[in-house]
Amino acid sequence: MELFLDLLISGLTKGSIYALIALGYTMVYGIVGLINFAHGEIYMIGAFIALIASLALSQAGLAGWGLLVSVAAAAVVYSAMYGWTVEKIAYKPLRGSSRLSPLISAIGMSIFLQNYVQLLQSPNFLTFPSLVPELGFLAPVSHIVNSTQLFIWLATALIMTALTVLIKFTRLGLSMRAVSQDPDMARLSGVNIDRVISSTFVIGSALAAVGGLLIGCYMRQIDFYIGFLAGMKAFTAAVLGGIGSIPGAVLGALVLGFAESFAAGFISSDYEDAVAFVLLIVILIARPGGLMGAAQTQKV
Amino acid sequence: MLKLEGLHTFYGNIEALKGLDLTVEEGEIIALLGANGAGKTTTLNCISGLIPPRRGRVFFDGEDITGHSPESLVARGLIEVPEGRRIFPALTVMENLKMGAYLRRDQPEISRDLDYVFNLFPILRARAGQSGGTLSGGEQQMLAISRALMGRPRMLLLDEPSLGLAPLIIRNIFDIIRQINMERGTTVLLVEQNANLALKVADRAYILTTGLITLSGSAEVLMADEGIRKAYLGG
Ligand SMILES: Nc1ncnc2c1ncn2[C@@H]1O[C@H](COP(=O)(O)OP(=O)(O)OP(=O)(O)O)[C@@H](O)[C@H]1O
Ligand SMILES: [Mg+2]
Repeated sequence: MELFLDLLISGLTKGSIYALIALGYTMVYGIVGLINFAHGEIYMIGAFIALIASLALSQAGLAGWGLLVSVAAAAVVYSAMYGWTVEKIAYKPLRGSSRLSPLISAIGMSIFLQNYVQLLQSPNFLTFPSLVPELGFLAPVSHIVNSTQLFIWLATALIMTALTVLIKFTRLGLSMRAVSQDPDMARLSGVNIDRVISSTFVIGSALAAVGGLLIGCYMRQIDFYIGFLAGMKAFTAAVLGGIGSIPGAVLGALVLGFAESFAAGFISSDYEDAVAFVLLIVILIARPGGLMGAAQTQKV
Repeated sequence: MLKLEGLHTFYGNIEALKGLDLTVEEGEIIALLGANGAGKTTTLNCISGLIPPRRGRVFFDGEDITGHSPESLVARGLIEVPEGRRIFPALTVMENLKMGAYLRRDQPEISRDLDYVFNLFPILRARAGQSGGTLSGGEQQMLAISRALMGRPRMLLLDEPSLGLAPLIIRNIFDIIRQINMERGTTVLLVEQNANLALKVADRAYILTTGLITLSGSAEVLMADEGIRKAYLGG
C-alpha cells in the first residue's frame, strides 16, 4: 500500500511537469500546425535561469517564498524571451513553406540551444537548491509527500486554471481559438496573426520555464540535456491526449506520469523511459487522434 | 469609394485576373457576376488583402491600399464575407459575433450593433450559445453577414451569399442586404452566380469572364437586354 501511494505521488508529480511542457507543444501545434522541437530546450533554459537567479538572488539576501517567487518570475520572463526569439528566427521566415522545413529548423534550433547552454554553463550536472520552503503541517506525513511535491501540484493546478480562463474568457484567448480554427478568416476579422503566434510561443515558453524550475526543485540537479528527454516525453503526452487539444495535453501528461511511475515501481526502473513510447504506440494504434483528439490527426 | 486599376493576379503560373478594372461609388450595391472560375473570389480576396495582386492598384477612399494586410483593411471598414461563410465552427455564435468586433473597443456601440444584428436575424439570438458548426447553412450565412456587420463595415464584400440555400432564405438574405445598404449606407460589392437575383438588388453590375470585365452597366439595362441575358446570364 505504501509503495502504491509512493508511486501515485511520484506519478502525479512527474505528470504535472510533463503537462506544463506538453501545453506548449499542443498550443503551438493548434495555432501554426508545427511541432516545436526546440520546446524542450526552453524548459531546460528555464531550469538554468532559475538556477542562476536563485544563486544571485539568495546572495542578494532573498530567501523563502520571496526567493521562490522572484526566481520563478526571472525564469518565466527570460524563457518567454527565448521562446519569442526562437519563433522569429527559426519559424517565421519559413511560414508558408513546406511542412518539412520548419521541422528541420526546429531540430537545428534544439541542437543549437543545447550546445549553447553546454558551452556557456557547464557540460556537467549542476546541483539545484531546494527552493520550496518546508511546510510545517506536512511534517506528520513527510515520509509520503513533501512540500516540494505539494507545491508542484498546486502550482500546476493554478497555472492550468489560469490558462483555461485566458483561453476561454479573454480577447487574446478568443483570437487564439479563432486562428487555430481558420487563420484566414481570423485575419478577415482583424486579427494580426503574427501577434497571436508570438503570444502563443511566449505563453508556452513561460509554462515550460515553470516546469524547468519545478523539475530543478524536485530532482535537485540539472544539466544541458534534460530538455531532450523531457521534451520527447511531453510531446508524447501531447500526442497521447490528442495534439492541439489543451485538456488532452494535461490528460496525456498525467497518464504518462502514472504509467512511468508504476512501470518503474512494479516492473523495473530500467523500463521507465521506454514506457512513454510503448504507450504512445499502443494508443496511436487504438485511437489515432489521441485520447481527446478528433478521429483525424491531420490538421486542416 | 473603391477603385481597381489593371489588377493582375496569379496562382503559380495561372493568371486568374488579367487586368481588371472596376469602380464602386459610395452607397452603391454593385453586382460582380460570372461563371465558375471567372475570378470573382480572386477579385474579392485581392481587395480584402488576402491575395495581393502581382500588378495593378486598389484604391479605397482615394488611398492606395494595394498590398495592405486584411487586418488593417478591416480597421478601415472594408470587410469581406468570404465564400463558404467560414464560420468558426468551435466558437459559439456569440463568440463568432465578438470576433467580428475584434478591433473595436467602443463597448456601448458594440452592444447596440449586437441588438441590430439580432433584430435582423432573430434566430441568431436563440442560437447565441450554440457552437457555429452546428448551425444550418442558412443560419451560418446569417451569422457570417452579422459577424461582418459587427465590424461596422463602410463597405461589405459578399461572396456568393446565396450558395446552397433555399429560395425563401435567399430572399430573406437579399432583402436584408438591401436593408443594410439603405439603413446604414453600407456600400456593397456582391459576387453572385445567380445573376437574376443579384441584378434585382444591385444598382450596377460588372460581368467577369476569365479574369477580365467583359461588360458593365446599370442593373436594369442588363436585365432588360435579351441578348445579354442569353449570352451571360444563362437565360
Ligand atoms: N488557390 C488556387 N490555386 C490555383 N488556382 C486557383 C486557386 N484559387 C483559384 N484558382 C483558379 O483561379 C481561377 C479563378 O478562381 P476564383 O475562385 O476566383 O473563381 P470564381 O469566379 O470565384 O469561381 P466560383 O464561382 O466557382 O466561386 C480559377 O481558374 C481557379 O481554378
Ligand atoms: Mg468564388
